[in-house]
Amino acid sequence: MTVHTGQRQGLGLKRFGTPLAVVVVLAALFAWLGTLTLDSIEQRTLNASYLLDRTREHLVLTVVSSALVALLAIPAGIAAYRVRSKAVRAFVIGLGNIGQATPAVGVVILLAIVWQTGFYTALISLVAYCFLPVLRNTLTGLEQVDHATREAARGMGMTPRQVLWRIELPLASPVILAGLRTALVFSVGVATIATFINAGGLGDMIVNGLKLQRYPVIVVGAVLVASIAVLIDWAAGLVEDLVRPRGL
Amino acid sequence: MSGSLDVFLARRWEDLVTLTLQHLAVVALSLAIATVLGVLLGLLVWDRNVPRSAVLTAAGIAITIPSLALLALLSPVLGLGWAPTVVSLVFYSLLPIVRNTVVGLREVPAHLVESARGMGMTPVRTLLSIQLPLAWPVIVTGIRVAAQLTVGIAAIAAYVAGPGLGLYIFKGLSSLGSVNALNFTLTGTICVVLLALVIDGAFVLIARYSTSRGLRV
Repeated sequence: MTVHTGQRQGLGLKRFGTPLAVVVVLAALFAWLGTLTLDSIEQRTLNASYLLDRTREHLVLTVVSSALVALLAIPAGIAAYRVRSKAVRAFVIGLGNIGQATPAVGVVILLAIVWQTGFYTALISLVAYCFLPVLRNTLTGLEQVDHATREAARGMGMTPRQVLWRIELPLASPVILAGLRTALVFSVGVATIATFINAGGLGDMIVNGLKLQRYPVIVVGAVLVASIAVLIDWAAGLVEDLVRPRGL
Repeated sequence: MSGSLDVFLARRWEDLVTLTLQHLAVVALSLAIATVLGVLLGLLVWDRNVPRSAVLTAAGIAITIPSLALLALLSPVLGLGWAPTVVSLVFYSLLPIVRNTVVGLREVPAHLVESARGMGMTPVRTLLSIQLPLAWPVIVTGIRVAAQLTVGIAAIAAYVAGPGLGLYIFKGLSSLGSVNALNFTLTGTICVVLLALVIDGAFVLIARYSTSRGLRV
């Protein structure tokens, strides 16, 4: 998917346009829902406890997988960078390209067939799917650091470890965070597909709604998932701006 | 547990070729529509600040919407099959194409546009023979990104009976536990990956031969 380049925005009213729009859409959604008379099938899904459960499952899947990706892929990217071998680099970039070409739905279903269905399968395929983009962003972010800056730090007497922590990682952080943001948004989408392998989430509503031909169920599921994706992307953008080193 | 892959392939390779061609066709059709719409939209907004940022922000938000959600919303209105698939693929292709059109047009040096106008070219002529050719390499890159995106999304569209290789991926799931479940999903997934890599390779050639001669490196 797209890699965000992360532009700094003013922290004004503009910042809150996105969540405001989401709130308006959700309010309209529930107002519309209030005008409908629901049949028994619709009542079974369109109630607060069902909606909250599916939303929670969806968020857990998204957040846990992204956290795992951050814990695994960033150190792996740092390691790949520090070996400084052309072969490792070519391997990582090549693997990243193939990973990008792989359809998420294929990964999820393959893992379900060779292993089992359920939450943990979905979690692992999410981690596997988002691992490569974050790894690649970490590697390219570190490589992008200006050579002269690195040299100057070494000349000041910093050890390679100090250069990594104080110079290279802070300078690479916008690119690394942009990778994580992409991974988060990805996960919301892939977590929707997780319904195919019985891993819950809001995808359940979409699939059930389609199967039982209940349009309100589809609409609520789809709009909730879309709102989560938009809000997570917005929040990640906010975090990106807040943690960016001052000088950048 | 799984039937042997070579027997599976020998029996179904014709089927597989058809699905691959369908997948390619739906991606190509969507990209063609998205390119026309995206470039037009880019042309409308690239030199106006407010519409430009409005369009780019809207497209940036739109692309975060999970594809299954969009397909599900479209299917009651557009039915099943090609229609919801093409509409959603066009939808997701617009962001990279519009963004790159805007970036490409903004990168054209102002003095070139000015000299073209000074030579007596009309604005339309300037656009067609100066601005678009110079922005084209960037626009093609946008279409290439959109192509990678849509090949993967088209696989999910099989859930609303869309054309292409997603059919095999889902067939594996629906026959879970049977002899050929793994074969179906595995061949479907691998063919999607291969198709994506071939399309990406093709774009290197498309970019080269559709770029104006003076710009080729």
